[in-house]
Amino acid sequence: MRVHVDETKCQGHTLCAMAAPDIFELSDFDGHAQAVAGDVPPHLEDAVKAAASTCPEQAIVITG
Amino acid sequence: MAIEGDKDAPVHFDRHAPGYIHEFESTTHELHGKCPIAWSDTYGGHWVASGYKEVFEIARNRTLLSNHHDLEDETSPYRGISIPRPDSGQKTRGGFLEMDPPEQQDYRRILDPYLSPAAVARWKPMAEDLTRAALDARIEEGSIDFVDDLANIVPAVLTLALMGLPLTDWEIYCEPAHAGVYTPPDSPDIVRVGQLGMAMGMRMTESIMALRAHPRPGMVDALIQGRVCGQPLSDADIRDTLMLLIGGGFDTTTALTAHSLEWLSEHPGERDRLRNDLGGLLDSATEEFLRFYTPAPGDGRTVAADYELSGRQLQEGDRLWLSWAMANRDPSVFPDPDAVCLDRGANRHTSFGLGLHRCIGSNVARATFKTMVTGVLQRMPDYVCDPAGSVHYDTIGVINGMKHLPATFTPGPRLGAGFDETLAWWQERIDEQQMAAPVTRASAGTRQQ
Ligand code: SF4
Repeated sequence: MRVHVDETKCQGHTLCAMAAPDIFELSDFDGHAQAVAGDVPPHLEDAVKAAASTCPEQAIVITG
Repeated sequence: MAIEGDKDAPVHFDRHAPGYIHEFESTTHELHGKCPIAWSDTYGGHWVASGYKEVFEIARNRTLLSNHHDLEDETSPYRGISIPRPDSGQKTRGGFLEMDPPEQQDYRRILDPYLSPAAVARWKPMAEDLTRAALDARIEEGSIDFVDDLANIVPAVLTLALMGLPLTDWEIYCEPAHAGVYTPPDSPDIVRVGQLGMAMGMRMTESIMALRAHPRPGMVDALIQGRVCGQPLSDADIRDTLMLLIGGGFDTTTALTAHSLEWLSEHPGERDRLRNDLGGLLDSATEEFLRFYTPAPGDGRTVAADYELSGRQLQEGDRLWLSWAMANRDPSVFPDPDAVCLDRGANRHTSFGLGLHRCIGSNVARATFKTMVTGVLQRMPDYVCDPAGSVHYDTIGVINGMKHLPATFTPGPRLGAGFDETLAWWQERIDEQQMAAPVTRASAGTRQQ
């Protein structure tokens, strides 16, 4: 599984980092998210899916 | 044949009507079922977007909806975010919430480094200590008003701290910030509330002038130093911005906290469950209370381009209400939408808005709420609210708030200094350690370039 944040959609709601803190890192300046690792370790796949399902902007893109 | 909810067969949606608070759920599901985007005949006519899909589709569309409030042209349909238009007679607009990019983006860039998750985390010890002191003031009595004695105070003091204003001024701002929202124009109290509002505005102007002369870190300083579209801001621009931040920072967090504490008192089993698993449940419970009570139930916009949405024709110049509160009850996104589930997953609620205008204070709101609720659950675990004394706002058209929420509990011991002493102690730390400075590249670690 791979994941990235569509920066044109992310508005810094920060819910992704609550759901999967090891994968999503928030900018210190505006709280917008980045995926620290594109490849999701298997044990974090559920957390990443939860993050994607909670993002109000639907900015989290999961592939593979 | 006319389609219900179209301009020639409008619905009648009045969120300021006295009965609306009681009919909210039935009105919501009726609109969802018939016309999730509907033309209403109220307030000069406006669209009401209540379905999640409809709200999501348009709220993020930067070219379709405008927040702009045109103060120059009386006949312009671009009237900002209030429906109906406030009849204050004054030519003011609601800060950057009544602007479009690029102006709005410049304001956000100025203020974001004070309100980001990293910036807000620095204030956690103060929020906890203020909560401790506010609860200390009532803990030996065994009775408290969660609005007056807690939820009005902590968000107010914290907002002033972020701005770089003197903490002891919180009382000048607190009463008008709440009463200005819930007092209807025909109330006998409106004169007093108006006077308090004037006193607040005067203090704000004095503070801006003082900070121009003797700079201190905080959001006011950032606005004084900042440039919007290349230009410095006037005192009036700064005042409008501070009014927006106060309006957004005080009443909403108070409303969320009061409603949540009331619900937890009515559901003692769920309250104990939350208290025993704050680490596991507080995050999801916070999002669920945000969804269910939606402190700011919606925002107005002006349609800036013709657009077809779910079979209705939006036309340039139409006014439109984005109902976050109703979208949050859409069963196609939230199963069992009228129930509070503290562990609800996939909770992509819209309570902080969607798109460019996402509530800039969302991180402060969440952190302050969690601190206050944690303090109450830990120190007054058996509290019971008194339904006879609790007072909800008469109209929830602007904020779904509460005026009073008295409760009783088993008394306990104080843990620290009194409230005034605590404020003074934190004021010293703020001044000495420049706590209200923005997050900077140097303090932010290496990962953000
Ligand atoms: S939840 Fe979505 S909008 Fe919020 S920070 Fe994460 S990716 Fe961005």
